[in-house]
Order: sequence, then C-alpha cells, then structure tokens
Amino acid sequence: MSLPLAVILIGLSIYPLVYLLKTSFTDYQMLGMQPTKFVGLSNYSHLLTSGLFRHSLAITGAFALSAAILQMGLGTGLAFLIRSLGRRAQTVLVLLLIPTIISPAVVAFQWVQLFNYQFGPVDYLLTQIGLKPLLWTGSPHQALGSLLLVDFWEWTPFVMLLVYAGLQSLPEKIFEASAIDGSTRLQTVRFITLPMLKPVLGIALILRLIGVFKMVATIAVLTNGGPGIATESVSYYTYVNAFTYFDIGYSAALAFVQLIIIMLLVKIILRLMKRPGVRTLA
Amino acid sequence: MKRIPAWQRLLNLVLVGIALLFFLFPVYWMINTALKPPNEWLTNPPIFFPHHIYLTNFSQALIHWGGLKGLWDSLVVSVGATALSLVAGVLGAYAIARYNVGGNNFSFFVLSVLFFPPVVVSIPMFQFWRSVNLIDTFPAMVVQYSSFTVPFVTWILKGFFEDLAIELEESAMVNGATRWQAFWDVALPSVKGSVVATALLAFIFSWNAFTFAVILSQGHITTLPYILPTLMEGHYVLWGDIAAIATLAVVPIVVLAFVLQRYLVRGLSFGTIRESL
Repeated sequence: MSLPLAVILIGLSIYPLVYLLKTSFTDYQMLGMQPTKFVGLSNYSHLLTSGLFRHSLAITGAFALSAAILQMGLGTGLAFLIRSLGRRAQTVLVLLLIPTIISPAVVAFQWVQLFNYQFGPVDYLLTQIGLKPLLWTGSPHQALGSLLLVDFWEWTPFVMLLVYAGLQSLPEKIFEASAIDGSTRLQTVRFITLPMLKPVLGIALILRLIGVFKMVATIAVLTNGGPGIATESVSYYTYVNAFTYFDIGYSAALAFVQLIIIMLLVKIILRLMKRPGVRTLA
Repeated sequence: MKRIPAWQRLLNLVLVGIALLFFLFPVYWMINTALKPPNEWLTNPPIFFPHHIYLTNFSQALIHWGGLKGLWDSLVVSVGATALSLVAGVLGAYAIARYNVGGNNFSFFVLSVLFFPPVVVSIPMFQFWRSVNLIDTFPAMVVQYSSFTVPFVTWILKGFFEDLAIELEESAMVNGATRWQAFWDVALPSVKGSVVATALLAFIFSWNAFTFAVILSQGHITTLPYILPTLMEGHYVLWGDIAAIATLAVVPIVVLAFVLQRYLVRGLSFGTIRESL
C-alpha cells in the first residue's frame, strides 16, 4: 500500500543522500576536464578550516536566532492578539498570512522595491519624519539586518498561524476552571496556556529552523550574499559553490554537514516534546 | 473567560492595525507599481496612490515577458506535483499510521526529507535528470517538486489518521471489509477535510517553488518564480512589468487562500501541531 510513497522517498531522498555522501569524498567538478578522483576527507578538512564556512555559519546562526526569538515571540503575541478579535479573527489571519503564502521570489522583489534608497517609499517616509535614510542592502553594515527584516516579515505570520491553531485546539474548560480558581489572565497564560502550547511551539521552531537552512531565494535576489560576503549564509555558500563554481565535491560535503546540524537540532527539540506511542492495526 | 476591559480592546485593535499595515504594505506597493505608467515607477517623492489605472504593464507582462506561459507552466507543474503527492502521501500516511510501516523511525525519516535544503537535493537530481535526458521537462519538474510535498502531505495526514478512532476500521474488518475497504470507505472519508487542506498547501508550495525552478530549468519550463529574477537583471529594470508578473504570481494563491480559508487554517495548523512524530 505504501509502495508509491516508498518509491518516491527512495528515489528522491536516499538516492540523493547516497550520491551526496559519495561525491563529498571526491573532487568532482561538474564542468571539469580531469577525471574525478577520490580525495578522502579533504573536502571536510577544507570545510573545517575555511573561514568562509565559519562566517557563513555565523550568518545562518543570526537568522536562526532571529527566528527563534523574534519570530517565535512576536508570532505568538500576534496569535493571542488575533484571537481577541472574535468573529473577524479568521479574515485578519488570512490577510496577515499573505507574506508567508506568496513565493519567496515575489517577496524578494517586493523588498527590492522597498529597499531602494533613491526612490523607495520607506526611505522617503524616514526622511519625512526627520530620520536619516538607510542604505539597506547596499551597505555592508545594514545588509544583514535588512535580510533579517525580510525573513521576519515573511515568516512571523507562519508562527502566528500555528500558535493560533494551537490555541483553538485547547479545551475551553481548562480556562473556565482556571478563572473559577481565581487566577488572573496573565497567570492563566503563564501557567496553563503556554505550557499546553509547548508541542505547537516546538513544531513551529523546528519548521522555522529548517526554513532558515533552506533559504536561498531571498539572498540570491536581494544581495547575492553581499556586499562582499556580508550576507552569505551556509545555504547560499553551498549554492554558490555548487552552481557558480561547480565545485560539486566540496558543496556535497557542505550540504552533508548542514543536514547533520539540522537533524541534531530537530532531534533535540523533539526529545523535549515527546508523546507516548500510538496503537496500530497490524 | 474574563471580560476584556474596553481600553484593552481598543489597544488590541490599534495593534492589529499596525500589524496589517506592516505585513501588507510591501504587497500594496507591488500592486501600486504594477498599476503605474513607466514615468511614475521611480520618482522622488514616490507616488503612493496611482493617479489612474494603467493596465499596459499587465499586457506587457502576459505577452511580451512570457507571463501567460509562466502561468500555464506553473499551473501544470503545481497540479501535477499536488496530484502525485496526494496519491503517494495519503496511502503512505495511512500505512504508517495503521500498519506501522517501516518501524518507529520511518516517520521521522519521512519528515527528515523536509530538512534537505533544496540545494542538497538539486545537485544529484540535476545530474540524474540530465543523464536520463529529462532535464527541464514537465515530468522531471513534477517529480522533483513533489520531493518536498510528498513528505509534507504524509507527515500531516499521518497525524490525522492516528487521531481517528481505530475501532471503526476494526469493526468494519470484523464485519468482512477488506483492508482496502477499511481504508477507502471508512478512514478516508473521515479525513476528507484534511486531505483538501494538505492538497491546498502542496499546491501553494509547488506554485511558489523557487530554488528547484532556478536550478533545474534551462529556459524551457518557465514557472512564474523562475521568470521574476531573470527580469530584474540588466540596467534598465522594468519595475511596472515585473510588478505585474509578481502580482500575477500572487493573485491565484491569495484567492485560493481566501476561498479555502477554513481548510488552510485548520489543515496546516492541526496537522502540523499534532505532535505525532
């Protein structure tokens, strides 16, 4: 019964995985004229000693931190806020979700327009209220912040959606009981709602971290990793090594290391939110 | 629940207003540009409201910049990937939920496919499609796009199947139903809403997919997300035309999201928040 699934999963995951692992021990260049050689662990040692790699890890770390703190925090806040709207909640929710459901390519285009420091509306408004205009992605000091802003804009609504749905699924009775016991609203949120939301928050965090490790489009369109290497995340560094330099062996090693990092992070988060086993028919 | 005081209700409304402004302004600005004639694209001060509706950008985008073909290619690839992931995902989810296929770690493995950065999958798959002479064709794109939607659909639906009371299927089978009938006639109808929801999400993912499009297309299959950045290169950027293409890429998704909002909210959320791992 699960044959189609098995075929697709094997075709699209195990095959690339094995291929990657194998390639990561070679010096395969897609356009190279020399025959491919086995080079042992040299791609991995190159990676471990590479300043560029460490730099890109730090950039990805910045995105991960922003996702874990700002997006999770404000997304949760928004969910509570939306919930207080009653009947209109769902319409507002879908409106706020638009950044998340449109293509990253479109998102990037929209922000290219907004980040225009000569003709963009944001800098115009900043100068109107007496502030200095920003250079945004044009400045090595502001580029990372600009991308963090875009990522925040794109994905905070996603966290909001998950938390909102989590709130909807909590049994109303608990809140009634808590109110009868005389707890304040703040106490209810702190000691009842948030602990019950733990699984939802865990999933949201996992999905966001996965997203951070996947991000290519936003960077490719908005900054190309620049100015210089100011916004070169691990995913983008891998993308460039693979599809600009065609250094497949090295990028395979990079990809593999990323996969291990993200798997570890996910395992840790899952461990913190385990649930008991489920019955089966077999 | 305690009553919310009036001042706080007002504060909430103000905060919602700010959130709407922040999250919708970039979208508004795109539409604004799409409706402006060329001499108003880049002005200082910028023009915040179009003086009149200028639709030439859209006809340019559709015909001259391949928007029409882009819409068609996006549609074919997305519908194909959605259909494929529903067939594989529904069956797979049921098998995992009810027959524990692959043991306890299999579902984590399914989920882990979602972790793969598209770049990771793209390198070997690029080689693969090239070697079988299918690169940049509809079948290759459809299969490739579903590499993320299949695990997604499987993972979400597995949670829903697990939440169904197993007794219904058990008693159907005691009364002579085959395993297939227990699935098709008993279990599947009960998760219909969730299937619609996951289908919607799979469609959205495929419609938006960017990395695969850029890496695997060589200019033959040109989905809308593929066309967009190609137009932004060069010295004279046609802001209005690009904004029109971008708007075309957004409208179907937003319309779908509103029409199926009940499913979108319930489906993504409930499925994703099941801590069924």
